[in-house]
Amino acid sequence: MSDVILNANRRKILLASAAAGATTVSPFAINFLSAQTPTIKIGFPVPLTGAFGVEAQDQVRAAELAIKEFNDAGGFNGRMAELVVRDDKLNPGEAATRTLELIEKDKVNFIVGSLSAAVQLSINNVTKDRKIIFNSISQSDAINEVKDFSKYTFHEALNPHMTAGAVGRYAFAKYGKKVVFLTADYAYGHEMVRGFQTAGKPMGIEVLADIRHPIGAADYSSFLPRIQALKPDVLCLCNFGRDLLNSVKQATDFGLKSTTKLVAPVLLYTSRVAGGAEAFDGVVGGTSYYWRLEDTVPSAKVLNDRYRKAYAGAVPSDYGALGYAGVKSVLTAVKNAGSVDTDKVIDAMRKLKYDFYKGAQYYRECDHQSVQSVLIVESKSKDMKDKNDVFNIVSVEAAGEARLRSCAELGHKA
Amino acid sequence: MKPFIALVTRHRVLAVIAFLLVFPLIMPYSALAVNVLIFGLFAVGLNVLFGYTGLLSFGHAAFLGVGGYLTGISMLSFGLPWWLALPIGVIASALVGLVMGWLAIRTRGIYFSMVTLALAQCVYFIFYKAERWTGGENGLRGIKVEPVQMGGLTFDLLNPLTKYYFILAFVALALWFVSRLLASPFGAVMETIRENEKRAAACGFDVARSKLLAFVLSAAICGLAGGLRALHLSIVPIDSLHYLTSGQAIMMCLLGGMGTFFGPFVGAAAFLLIEEGATNFTSHWQLVTGVVFIVFVLFFPKGIWGSLLERMKRS
Repeated sequence: MSDVILNANRRKILLASAAAGATTVSPFAINFLSAQTPTIKIGFPVPLTGAFGVEAQDQVRAAELAIKEFNDAGGFNGRMAELVVRDDKLNPGEAATRTLELIEKDKVNFIVGSLSAAVQLSINNVTKDRKIIFNSISQSDAINEVKDFSKYTFHEALNPHMTAGAVGRYAFAKYGKKVVFLTADYAYGHEMVRGFQTAGKPMGIEVLADIRHPIGAADYSSFLPRIQALKPDVLCLCNFGRDLLNSVKQATDFGLKSTTKLVAPVLLYTSRVAGGAEAFDGVVGGTSYYWRLEDTVPSAKVLNDRYRKAYAGAVPSDYGALGYAGVKSVLTAVKNAGSVDTDKVIDAMRKLKYDFYKGAQYYRECDHQSVQSVLIVESKSKDMKDKNDVFNIVSVEAAGEARLRSCAELGHKA
Repeated sequence: MKPFIALVTRHRVLAVIAFLLVFPLIMPYSALAVNVLIFGLFAVGLNVLFGYTGLLSFGHAAFLGVGGYLTGISMLSFGLPWWLALPIGVIASALVGLVMGWLAIRTRGIYFSMVTLALAQCVYFIFYKAERWTGGENGLRGIKVEPVQMGGLTFDLLNPLTKYYFILAFVALALWFVSRLLASPFGAVMETIRENEKRAAACGFDVARSKLLAFVLSAAICGLAGGLRALHLSIVPIDSLHYLTSGQAIMMCLLGGMGTFFGPFVGAAAFLLIEEGATNFTSHWQLVTGVVFIVFVLFFPKGIWGSLLERMKRS
């Protein structure tokens, strides 16, 4: 009996691998799949390897969920959707190559993805020349500006201007006006500082120092005495990932928290889980999504429950939820447009008013930035409901175009 | 077999080009084939210095990057057409090579490698900081080649195969040049320097100047690879100046067989294909490339192509 099954399986595997081999290796082979109704393919380049592998894997999980929902609901007139995941290795050159592969070989209809400012700009460059819709799910200010923007470019994620602005407006009002920046010396850090300063200027903040450190620095001990001597009310940590973790840990050990509020423009669920409760205790930051939003927002509850069911009780992370929304908005637009034709889907996306997981959202006319709320969260070490309960949502800045840079400022003609 | 080998060896450029003409048909997708062309040329450029002159440079990413950036900047900031921008990139690379070479050839062995590494890092930070021109961390973006009109025909680089053959034309030209260079008396001088520097000097060759010339030519070829990469990807990422990119070229040279004409190409193809294959089933693809590299260094020190050549000669 077991032999029979084994044989059957073996035959299947052999057949499948032969077919796969034939379709991938030989350029002349007939594509078996195209004989049936072709699926709607969504290319999904994310950095599965590299510093943000954990975040990227969650992006994939959540995006798969959006695909499954679409297919379970019958697809688009029976056409199913398919996610084609590629590893961009957090490298803009690799990302451009992978995007070319997705467009030229896999013939994807749309591209959603990325997790780095430089990578999304590189993908966007490839897609806009080839007239393919790209919905970016990673932070960047540059992608809104007229130089990089095209009508094929959509930006589902927050941008530094919104995030840092929201965090600044909350923190400067609550904790004080004397501010020090500790900034990773690259585009991300600079954009965040600019966001904080724009928000802080009308509030009358006093910037005591903007201390720059090289990206990937391991030792912050030389900056900490200087920061302590300046006695700021708020220390803005404009760095990301491991840099944020290291600087927060060392500032905690140094005792800086007793006099100064630590603030990070982007406080990720994943980095808080990796960093531990002690180090991040009391740190305030911004995020696009945190699962406890389900207490107040019904659509968040729906997403969380589906995610829990699909992935053994886990909750979606912030970047994961963006992956979900990025894919879902494209697929919803396909349904609304009644077509996979690029121009028609663009029109449908521009008209879209959606509430997929965090409240009402829509894409702004001039730069296709998703107008959405920003959550301000505070990390906690006590009163945790379970191991996933790491933040308190202390404030939600409502969605509004006033929180974005104006279209004119970005160089768009009204 | 023997006459065939003899024929191929005599017309090595034609043989390589004939192979490269059908190459995209056996590759999984053409963007990867273009990458092999570009990195193959990059490794060939390094091989001129490393394989033939015996100087191991850890800073060749500087030339790939400078070639790419200057090509891109000429097109974006000065609105030049691609056929003017590309030579500008090559010349800029050669000039940077002249400066770096002039400083580096005073040293030998590991010190030479360290000096080239340090100077390449300087270049990296200059381009990183010049955000207005280079886009800094975000990279240089928006390089677009309009369809090329040539003899009544239109070549649109948005078509993947057209782009491959467009880039192959330049690579073929560069390969012909390298082959010519190696067959020239100067090529013999380079190999003499590699084998025995003192003896080369005793024979009356100006060793320092020959080394410098080899350095500059090598830089120019790598600059061409960089310029073509800018046209291919329509961006120049800051990573193209990173020292890891230099390391990649060295790995490709060693994997394929340094000091052989076609080796670097084989190395580039092998490296990129292994990476491609490994990435599709594990996120630990570096482990696979690393193990393959170690195996080759330990058991096939002449590289894939070098070992093959040796076997063919013996049989």
